Amino acid sequence: MRGVASYLRLVGWCALALQFPAGALELSLPGEPIQVHGFVSQGFIKSNANNYLAESTRGSFELTEVGLNFSKELTDRLRVGVQLFARRLGPLDGFNANFDWFYLDYRWADWLGIRAGRVKLPFGLYNEINDIDSARVPILLPQSIYPTSNRDFLLAQTGGEIYGRFSLGAAGALEYRAYGGTIFLRATTPPNSPYQIGTFNAPYVVGGRILWEPPLEGLRLGGSLQALRLDADFFFNPSLFGPLQAAGTLPPDFTGKVSVQIPATLWVASAEYSAGALLLAAEYSRWYVSLDSSQTLLFPNLATTVSERVYGMFSYRVNPWFHPGLYYSGYYPDVSNRSARANMQHDAAATIRFDINEYWLVKLEGHFMYGTAVLDVSLNHDRPLTDLQQTWGVLLVKTTAHF
Amino acid sequence: MTSTALAVSAFAQSRQGLPAFRVIVHPSNPVATVDRKFLADAFLKKTTRWSNDQAIRPVDQRSDSAARNRFSEEVLRQPVDAVKNYWQQIIFTGRDVPPPELDSDDDVVKYVLKYPGALGYVSGGASLNGAKVVTLQ
Repeated sequence: MRGVASYLRLVGWCALALQFPAGALELSLPGEPIQVHGFVSQGFIKSNANNYLAESTRGSFELTEVGLNFSKELTDRLRVGVQLFARRLGPLDGFNANFDWFYLDYRWADWLGIRAGRVKLPFGLYNEINDIDSARVPILLPQSIYPTSNRDFLLAQTGGEIYGRFSLGAAGALEYRAYGGTIFLRATTPPNSPYQIGTFNAPYVVGGRILWEPPLEGLRLGGSLQALRLDADFFFNPSLFGPLQAAGTLPPDFTGKVSVQIPATLWVASAEYSAGALLLAAEYSRWYVSLDSSQTLLFPNLATTVSERVYGMFSYRVNPWFHPGLYYSGYYPDVSNRSARANMQHDAAATIRFDINEYWLVKLEGHFMYGTAVLDVSLNHDRPLTDLQQTWGVLLVKTTAHF
Repeated sequence: MTSTALAVSAFAQSRQGLPAFRVIVHPSNPVATVDRKFLADAFLKKTTRWSNDQAIRPVDQRSDSAARNRFSEEVLRQPVDAVKNYWQQIIFTGRDVPPPELDSDDDVVKYVLKYPGALGYVSGGASLNGAKVVTLQ
């Protein structure tokens, strides 16, 4: 009910905004006008086997996003802005409207600016637009590097950022962003768990991105690096650990609390070339994740697992209303074990984007999938990934209105 | 304006010996020439200040304007809809907002005359009312 109320509030704001003439809205206040922009997206997903992102085997409309933002230039160096966002993606989020980003932005010079607040994370070329259907051709960005289901961890951080762009003369230009802060997380205890999740937070997230614009116009080359740690406390059911204490396996003063730390380091190398109607992009990434536990008998340590992620993407704007695209995405959750369907995900996708007019678009997308690594067992009746169908397909349709 | 109308407009201007567009600034701006890359970066808000540290205030025309289409192809080297896609990314990630889009050459001239740091473009035959034309290198 709370989620529905939040959704209705956000839709109400959008309806109010849409009463004004189309295009960016401007609200009259002294000085520069407040700019208002927004979007509403609704999609449908259907898979022929394996539930993906939602109950997709029976077809699902749980693919909705709504956003509304306001920004104002207070001086010629200082801006403020805020975006409200709500979505429904399968079982995720349930239309809870949240502040997607909010910031103050002081740009002292082209080579140095500061942002403070909740700011989208610059990771790779397209992390920041993972929610913004109108800003890209595919409905789903390559999930190997931009997993939609990990939005809470990967999309934005609350803290500060410095940014800027340098001219390198004949060598082109260099854009940088460096940030530090935290991520506010929500965690719910899975049903039938032997434990309750107590605290769950990210004490730090730090990172940066550098993008080089070489003399060849339209080419961008770059790298991103991010380090973060997730800390959690789990409280185990006494019925579980009581017998272990009685047997002397666990200390007698053990209270059931297990603290874990999950440090992660992520990097991605990026390349993009755009020339006129053509866009080519490719990225390669590795993520390093480990787990340290205060009580390894109940929650074992995990040695560092390295995942490998890659994609190559092509799109061509045939005319202002017709824009097809293709990509291949590859994902190995553990580079030391690439065999078996559960340890790989290959995804070949094709998209057609139709821009009905400058405010409304429709997309049609198909995926040929090989492997099951990207699937969520909780959506597939808790069947292990090794039992799910190895070769499967997904069809998506989505429409977005934006202003 | 349809693509046919845009082509007719461009043809008509070329027959009269007029450029497809002229870049204009406030009369107090000391700049006499701008290179294409600087102009493109200014309109994409990658470059935000003149050499005298005054804020650059770019102003666009409507997306169906013949001047805008030629400006976009020749200076930004992208069609208008590709530039709009770029701005979608910038707007919805909170990094900035696009230049204002005005309805006519006259509106652009008024804007440029109002703001000392303004930077705009008008069609080749537009009345300038004192706005200063800069040469595009």
